[in-house]
Amino acid sequence: MTVATQRAGGGGGHVERSGGGGSSGLADVIELILDKGLVIDVFVRVSLVGIEILTIDARIVVASVDTFLRFAEATNRLDLYGKGKGGAGLPDLVQGMTESGSKGKTTGVLEGAVEKVGEALTSRSEEREEAPRRRPRQRVREQEEE
Amino acid sequence: MSPTYVYGVVPADTVLPEGLRGLGPSGNVSLVADGRIAAVVGDIPLDRPLGTRDDLVAHESVVDAVAGATTILPMRFPAVIEEAGLVDELLGPNEEYFLRALADLEGRVQYTVKGRYEQDVVLREVLEDDSELRALQERVRTLPEDASYYDRVKLGELVVAALEQRREADAAELYERLEDLAVAVAAHPPTQPEDVIDAALLIDRADVEVFEDAVEELGEAWAGRIRFRLLGPLAPYDFVASEAVETGA
Repeated sequence: MTVATQRAGGGGGHVERSGGGGSSGLADVIELILDKGLVIDVFVRVSLVGIEILTIDARIVVASVDTFLRFAEATNRLDLYGKGKGGAGLPDLVQGMTESGSKGKTTGVLEGAVEKVGEALTSRSEEREEAPRRRPRQRVREQEEE
Repeated sequence: MSPTYVYGVVPADTVLPEGLRGLGPSGNVSLVADGRIAAVVGDIPLDRPLGTRDDLVAHESVVDAVAGATTILPMRFPAVIEEAGLVDELLGPNEEYFLRALADLEGRVQYTVKGRYEQDVVLREVLEDDSELRALQERVRTLPEDASYYDRVKLGELVVAALEQRREADAAELYERLEDLAVAVAAHPPTQPEDVIDAALLIDRADVEVFEDAVEELGEAWAGRIRFRLLGPLAPYDFVASEAVETGA
């Protein structure tokens, strides 16, 4: 986890870098090109070619019960007291908790962003509202690995 | 009817970088010039709707590769017009507007800086600062999962609120620093509780190295608490005003 996030193209190593030109992640690309930029039909209504387009809402909902539960879970995994005391008697338990904890942490974070992407790319407009909840987690991985 | 995909608008004397690969069946990307401006165009697949992962990535990679060489006004995905209208309706009538926008952005590129809390570190801070939260956490831990549902929602809600409070102060400090480094800054509202900033910055090409070093320093100063990502150089997506052009039609 630490290794992955501190990988840097530049040399310093504290900031994760990605340049333009297709090297960014799909979530970043979506934010850039769907939300921003000149809108062509402002200029040219007449000649717009009638093609079907999958519109995508790149925004991610901030506060929901799911979000709260995710943070409750993350909070519960913290072991406040083990930090300073050296954890005599508890090491195994603590170890187990931090391992599953850090895994949950990254997937939780990634999921928020990638879920929207998966949804955007796999669902037709009529399914869009229901898609995020039902979507199996596996698809998230497929999107990431491509 | 011959639909044409438009990636963006550039100065007419632009020389496209080699190796561009667009989203159409041919993948070719070319320029159609009119007066002092030109559109960066390509073909589109006609047998399916646009919007696949590859389409999105192709759009971004063409626009940002061109942005590496010259100033480009990026179109929002997807921009498709009838080939015949390219000059008559897009470029011709809007030449003045495009020229002004290009002049404003000349010699400048966009970077996007995103900062996110190191979750465990900041959650620990939040808990250590608030005995009420610690008590709630303790209760949640001792109850079986089914019985603790509402307490867990409550705990999460309070934790998220505490994160947002922290973010306010940290983001203010970060934006102050970033504003010193950039010609212009566009702040986007955070989309996740652990997000601290999501900022688009317009940077003079001449200052790019100084800027990148400064962001690296920022990352170092906040290391262990906030993790930064830097995207760029990019086309000035956040600095083309789409509202201002409505009179163009």
